[in-house]
Amino acid sequence: MKLKSDILVIGGGMAGLVAGIIAAESGATTLLLRKGQSATAYSSGAIDIIGYLPEATEPFSAPSEGLAAIAGLYPLHPYGVVGYGDNVAPEEVVDTIIERVRDSVVWLKDRLEGTIASVVGDFQSNFSPISILGTTKPTCLVQTTMNPGDIHEREDSVLLFAGITGYPDFNPSSASKTYLEDRIAMGQPPHKVGFCMTKIMPFGKSFNISSIEIARHLDHKGSIETLAEQIDVQVKRIGATHVAIPPVLGIRHALKSKLELEKAIGAEVFELLGFPPSIPGLRLQLALEEVYTKAGGKLLAGHEAISSSRKGKTINSILARSPRREISIDTKAIILATGKYIGGGIAGNENGIRETVFDIMTVTGEYHSAKDIVPSRVTHRLEISPMGQQIQTCGLSIDPQFRPIREDGLEWAENVFAAGAVLAGYNYSVEKSGLGVALTSGYGAAMNAVDRIKGVA
Amino acid sequence: MTDSEYDVVVIGGGSTGTAVARDCAMRGLKTLLLERDDIASATVGTCAGMISSGLKYSDEPDIMAMCSKEVVHFNHIACHIIMKNPILAPLLELSDAASDSSYVDSYSAHAEERDVPAMLFLTPEASREIEPMLHPDIIASVYYEEFFIDPFRLCMLQALDAINHGATVRTYCEVIGFDINNNTELEGIIFYNRVSGTTERVSTKLVINATGPWAHKIAKLADEELDIRLNKGAHVILDRRVVNVGITVKAIDGRWIYLFPHENTTLLGTTALDTWEDPDSLVASFDEIEYLLQSIETILPSIRETRIIRTMAGVRPLVPEWKRPEGKVTRGYRIIDHSETGKTKGLISFTGGKLVMCRHMAEAVTDLVCKKLGKAAACTTHTQALPGNDADVDVAALSKDFGISLHALERMRARRGTEMLKVLELTKEHPEWKTTICTCEPVIEAEMRYAIREEFPQTLNDLRRRLRLGTGPCQGTFCTYKAAAILSEELDLGGDDFLVDILDFRAERWKGIRQSMRGEQLAQEELTLGMYSCVGNLDQSDVDYDIKPWEEGF
Repeated sequence: MKLKSDILVIGGGMAGLVAGIIAAESGATTLLLRKGQSATAYSSGAIDIIGYLPEATEPFSAPSEGLAAIAGLYPLHPYGVVGYGDNVAPEEVVDTIIERVRDSVVWLKDRLEGTIASVVGDFQSNFSPISILGTTKPTCLVQTTMNPGDIHEREDSVLLFAGITGYPDFNPSSASKTYLEDRIAMGQPPHKVGFCMTKIMPFGKSFNISSIEIARHLDHKGSIETLAEQIDVQVKRIGATHVAIPPVLGIRHALKSKLELEKAIGAEVFELLGFPPSIPGLRLQLALEEVYTKAGGKLLAGHEAISSSRKGKTINSILARSPRREISIDTKAIILATGKYIGGGIAGNENGIRETVFDIMTVTGEYHSAKDIVPSRVTHRLEISPMGQQIQTCGLSIDPQFRPIREDGLEWAENVFAAGAVLAGYNYSVEKSGLGVALTSGYGAAMNAVDRIKGVA
Repeated sequence: MTDSEYDVVVIGGGSTGTAVARDCAMRGLKTLLLERDDIASATVGTCAGMISSGLKYSDEPDIMAMCSKEVVHFNHIACHIIMKNPILAPLLELSDAASDSSYVDSYSAHAEERDVPAMLFLTPEASREIEPMLHPDIIASVYYEEFFIDPFRLCMLQALDAINHGATVRTYCEVIGFDINNNTELEGIIFYNRVSGTTERVSTKLVINATGPWAHKIAKLADEELDIRLNKGAHVILDRRVVNVGITVKAIDGRWIYLFPHENTTLLGTTALDTWEDPDSLVASFDEIEYLLQSIETILPSIRETRIIRTMAGVRPLVPEWKRPEGKVTRGYRIIDHSETGKTKGLISFTGGKLVMCRHMAEAVTDLVCKKLGKAAACTTHTQALPGNDADVDVAALSKDFGISLHALERMRARRGTEMLKVLELTKEHPEWKTTICTCEPVIEAEMRYAIREEFPQTLNDLRRRLRLGTGPCQGTFCTYKAAAILSEELDLGGDDFLVDILDFRAERWKGIRQSMRGEQLAQEELTLGMYSCVGNLDQSDVDYDIKPWEEGF
């Protein structure tokens, strides 16, 4: 089978879908190959832009503050690269980065408006949503269903953590203790926190209940009422102004569930940031796919790019494989958004670290070749610390147009652009910058790809 | 005699220490066991669990005979935590078989006693029928059978049985000194309670130093010299049972190494390096991992396609025989009565020994203890069963009755035998405790709560030893936070303690993950960091986390 596209996106997570939407909206014929589930679908529902500098312990109160710091200290960070271009003067680099990241954030908010993953928050400031552990983290946007509202501002706020019996991913007693101890240490509201258990039994059993089962159950009309009745009693018991529940309010109708709950119990309800399998991650994934296909993009799920053919300085065709067929795709430009180890874009073993589709040169976070690096050598003896693990910063090095580069510093191919976690030079889990870099680089790479095909055409 | 006066204090909660405490208690001695960490937290926890027939020591016929007899005893007292593994030793050339074939005769001489067949030679075809992954060029293989025990459960059950017989077991109590009077008689023992942060003292008539690789350090507290040869052994752990039978091969340096299916994993080991390092900070090196992989690869060429989940490293406390390789050092044990070798009366130490001998070592030292205390009591540790050994359990019927997966119940039976019924009883009042918390192993919430209530764990790592929590391919990615919450509830811990428990367990898992990290484990680690650092923000947590020995330095 043979297909043709102007722009071919490889990878269907945040970076790939953002790139695909930009490409399709520009009028280019756009195809997107997706091998399996993306790391985006495992994400918590928060869209981080930048929360910390690597190794630093003071969070940024606003993304612009963090971006300025990154630009000064880590010019090769993907956010740093955003500021380069033929027409950007050196003194304009920081402002350019901030402006371009802001543009992509505004763009994303707009595209997600009205979808099942609509978001709140804005580029002006970071805020601190609560996780299922009871900890907080700085982020820029969260899904509307996860908005904790004025919980941290209202002096009289009282928070109730509501768990679900037989659903082990969230334990409200530990979370409430952790959260309250933290608030007391900071001397900030809420000054009162409680917890309760509720019963939701999608299949009539009270154990081994998964987030997917609960979310699907709550998507059904009328099923939120039994939950509302149970929570209402507990809200009255402790005088709760806010209720935190695990992120399971629904896949398609979570916002409706939230509003119904709030109306029934007279308190604000929000979902906590959770771990995989993540319903908010799934909502974000589905919402982006819908925006992409509405814009005219074509999605080939279950397809993996396995080889390519080169004509001079460009890659003009890709061979994709699914369990049932092989497709040869002729294309004018390619956006490589295959992710890192979860996504499968980067792989490593005792012989080194490599890029899996084209075998493009990989580098460490310090931009040394990662070709022969044994993974354990780029790890730190502390697993969870602000230093992070350098292995998570390995990936592709790019030029100002987001094109991966070779050993000699020149682009690997004139028409191949890269975005998201396949890129080197940022450590999203410590910086709290994951989906932000994916968004910004996907946006930037696609803009460049579009410019190129328009120029070429 | 007051509460804090003992006949005997045993130091060390490994296989030997728990066996000694059990024997002493069963003979009616007032016994205290002190362990500075947790039961089975050091050497025994890093072994393959083989209760060896002594095959490797065919030049020590007495030891072979003793090993074989001990296997019979274990099968009698702890059959619920024992598995039999058939083993192939495939040969690529004739010289791979040992030059002296006496081991065939000496193995076979004791085979009937253990109810296993005599050693067999198999054709290449027959060998590959058993294990298709074997190299096509093998010329024959040797077939034999060995028994394997869950080393964590063995130690735990010995400790619990000691308690059942009146002993006191104190974990997280580190011995820091002895009271020795002017007649050089040991009168008391001083230890630091690491949980409460206080120092305590008890009086005792005798002290048994069963501290394995720390034996010389404990002896030093009484100003006694103890020579010991410490030897590091590392394992690479593969996900699931990737071979049908155990495989042993001659390593690239001519030593024997093995690949054993073990519980839900496969163990590739071991290395042997003389060591002077702190046993707490040891990890497998890149060279050790490659040595093992290169060696097994000669017989199983596809081994690198398996998922390597972690490594583990431990220290053998060998008898001090020097100027010969580790494999040539006797596997026997020595009981050192310091009143004879030095001056301290009342202190007795061990060097050497193997897992399979732990009960025998205990019997020998308890005989000596009884003699010193003038007590006439016969050893019964080989006739009386350990808890849970009583009868077989019909897990298929239980699976139906309780609506719990057969696999989960089979794994629970392998840990607890008939004691699993007590766990299941809990689910009658709390059906939600049938929830699977560790999905890799698997472990249900009821067993976790039962273990917390009955088996005195302090940390998630202690729970791992009791339940195999977090030992599968995800290495605790998905169970760490769930289990920490349950531990917090049961022990009524604060919010900070909940986070510390998570960080502690992650640190312990990372110790073994880091060295061999490759392939799928890279994605697993990205996910772990995504959860605990990115979402949980625990990298920025300001809780009181103690740096672990293997995390120190640069």
